[in-house]
Amino acid sequence: MSDDATSTETNEPLTERTLPMPWLDADVHWGVRAKRDGHGLRFSALNVDIYGDVPDVWENKSEIPRGAIPTDNVERMGYSIFEKSEVWSELCADLYEEAIQRRWQSSIDIPWETLEPLDTDVERAIDQVCTLLSEYGWLKAQTIGRWLSEISYGFIEVKLFLGTVIFDSARMFETFRKRALANGGGLGRGGKNIRYWPLTQSMNWSEFVVATILHDSFMLTVCQYGAQLARNEAERRMFRLTGQDLARHLAYAQDHTRYMMLKEPQRREEIHRYLTKAEYYVHKDADETLYSAIAVILSDGREMAAGAMPDVAEMRRRQVESYLRRLETAHLGDRRGRLHESFQGWLGLPPEEEAPAEEEAETVEA
Amino acid sequence: MVTQDRLEEMRQEPEPPELDLSWLNLDSEFGVQAEVGRKGLTVEQINVGSYGEAPDRASGHSATPRGAARDERMPRMGYVIEDATETFSDSAALLYDEAVSRQWSSATDIPWETIKELPDGMERAMCQLCTSLTEVEFIAGDVPGKWLPKVAADHYESGLFLMSQVMDEARHTDVFRKRALANGGGLLFQGGGGGLRQILECTDYSQMSAMLHILGEGFVQTLFRMGELISHNEAEKRLFRLAGQDESRHVAYGVTHLKYLLEKEPERAEEIHWALDMFEDTTVDPEQQNPGLGTALVYILGDGDMDEGYKLFMNVRRKQTLEYLHRVEVAGLKGRAERLHPTLKGVLERN
Repeated sequence: MSDDATSTETNEPLTERTLPMPWLDADVHWGVRAKRDGHGLRFSALNVDIYGDVPDVWENKSEIPRGAIPTDNVERMGYSIFEKSEVWSELCADLYEEAIQRRWQSSIDIPWETLEPLDTDVERAIDQVCTLLSEYGWLKAQTIGRWLSEISYGFIEVKLFLGTVIFDSARMFETFRKRALANGGGLGRGGKNIRYWPLTQSMNWSEFVVATILHDSFMLTVCQYGAQLARNEAERRMFRLTGQDLARHLAYAQDHTRYMMLKEPQRREEIHRYLTKAEYYVHKDADETLYSAIAVILSDGREMAAGAMPDVAEMRRRQVESYLRRLETAHLGDRRGRLHESFQGWLGLPPEEEAPAEEEAETVEA
Repeated sequence: MVTQDRLEEMRQEPEPPELDLSWLNLDSEFGVQAEVGRKGLTVEQINVGSYGEAPDRASGHSATPRGAARDERMPRMGYVIEDATETFSDSAALLYDEAVSRQWSSATDIPWETIKELPDGMERAMCQLCTSLTEVEFIAGDVPGKWLPKVAADHYESGLFLMSQVMDEARHTDVFRKRALANGGGLLFQGGGGGLRQILECTDYSQMSAMLHILGEGFVQTLFRMGELISHNEAEKRLFRLAGQDESRHVAYGVTHLKYLLEKEPERAEEIHWALDMFEDTTVDPEQQNPGLGTALVYILGDGDMDEGYKLFMNVRRKQTLEYLHRVEVAGLKGRAERLHPTLKGVLERN
C-alpha cells in the first residue's frame, strides 16, 4: 500500500537518484511471453521459465508473488502451509479457468417462471432439501475462507481455484434459498450439522479435503437425484448446474489427494483416520431429514413416504459408492474394506458377524 | 480367499433410513412467494417476510439459515459476530447481485492481442506496477476469507458479499500476473507489505473494513479509474476498467457498512478514526516503502519523464485523497480532513 513517491518533498529534478527505481535495471528473468490459445490467455500459460517452478517446499514466509524479486525488510504474513504436497493439484489452474468460463447466475440462468404451485407436502419437502443444501454451501464457503490465509503465494493456482469454490458455494447457498422462497413455501429446518464437524474443525488442509470427498460426493448424488425428480425446468437446471460445480470441486479434491498419497505415502494411515472420523460424524449425526424429505418427493406426499424408503436407500447406497469410487481414483481404494459399519449397511453389505472372518479374507478385491 | 463376487453374493438390500416427518410441522414462515423482477430473481427479492428481517443480534452460533427452524439437537458451531453493526450493510445483497452479474474472465475478456512491444523501461515499469498489484490483490483476497467464518448466517448478505470479493480478488491477482508475463517482461520487486500486514492483523471487523475497503481499496479504485493514463493499449485499459468496476463494489460495501455502524453506534467514530490514523501512517511511511509501486507509476505517467510523471502522480494522489475524504464523509465519519496525515494534507495543498 505504501509507496515512496508521496513522501518525496524536493525541488530537485527527479531522477533515479532522487526516486529509487531498482526495477529499471534489475537482473531478472526477463523476456517472458505467455502464449494465448483458443481459450484466451489461460493461467496455466503463465507457467513458463521460473514462473512455473512450484517447489516442493515454498521457503518465503511473506506474500511475495512467485518469481518476483524478494525484498529484505518485509514481515512474515502468517502463512502456515509451505509444503506443496499439502495443497497441490496439477488441475488447479485449468479448474480455475473452467469455473470462470462456466459461471452462471441463479437470478437469470434458472427459469424461475417454470415453477408451479405444488402439493403442500411436496413443496415443504423440496424446501427442506433446499434448506439443507443451502446450509452446506454456506458452511463450505466459510470454512474454505478460513484456510485461504494459510496458503502462501507459492501455490497461487490453488488459491485462485479456491476463490472459485467459495464463489460457487455462495451461489449454492443463495440458489437453494431462492428456490425455497419462490414457490409459496419457506425454509425448512436447519441441519444438526454434526456431520460437518470434520470440515469446520479441520486442523490441516488435507484433512479438510478428504472430508469434502465424502460430503461433496453425497451432495453431488443428491443433485443428480434432484435433477431427475425435478417438477419443473427451474429445479432441473439448478440441480444440474450445482452438480457441475460440485464435480469440479471433487476433481480438485480427488487429484490433490492422489498427489498427496503419491508424495507422502507415509500419511496413508493418518488420512484413513480422517476418513474414519468423517464417516463416524455422519453416523453420529443420524439426521434422516434429507432422506425423509426425498421420500416425500418421491411418493408425492407423506402418506406413501414409507413405501419410498427402499428407493431412498438406493440413493444412499449410490452416495457411498460414489464416495468410494472417488477415493479409489485418489489411491485410497483400500477404504472399502475399512468403511464405517453404518456405511456398510447403506451399501447392503452383511453385518460384521456374518461377513467372512478376517483370517479367511486374505484379499478382498476392491 | 473372499472375492468381490462372493461379497456381491452376500450383499443384501441396502439398509433404509428411518422415516422422520417432524420437519413437516414447523413454525417457520410458509407461503412465501418471492417475485421475479427485471433482473431476475435476485437476493434482494427473496428478502421477503420474516426471511428479509436481519436481526440486530444473531442467534444460535450456527449455520442455520436465517428464517429456518432450528434443530434443537444441534450443538453450537463456534463463535460468530453476533451484532449486525459489526458486519452488516444495507447494500450487501445488491452488491453481491451486481458482483454475480458482472463477473468477467481475464482469459477471454481482455483483448491480449492488442498488447504491443514497449520500450524496455516502460515494460519494466508496467511489470513492476503489476507485480505490486498482484501482491496487493493477493492479500485483499485473504482478508475477507479470514473473516468469513465469523459472519453470522443471520447476516448472510454480508457473507455473500465477502465471498464475491474473494472471487474478485482472485481474478485481480490473476490478471495482473498475466499482464506482467504476457509482453516480454517478467515479475519485479515485491512490495513492503507493511500496510497489507496491518489489515491482516486487525482483530475488529469494522476497523479492518475501514482500512481495507475504504482507504486501501479506495486508493486502488481511484488509480484503476484513471487507468487510461497508465495504459498503452486496449488490453491494459480494459483490465483497469474491469478491475476498477470490481473495486467500486468493495469500496461501496466499506462505505455503507461504516455508515450503518456509525448510525447505530456513533460512539465508535473515534475508534474508526484511530484505525484510519494508523493506516494512513503506514500508507505514507518511507520506512515501509514499496520499492516499486510509486516510482513505477511516476515513470509510466510521465512516459519516462520523471518530473512530468511526478506532477501527474501528485494529481493522482490528490484525487485519491479527495475521494477518500468524500467517502468517509458520506459514511458519516466527521472530521477526517482535519486529522488527515500531514503528508496527505500536503498533497491536497500542493495545487
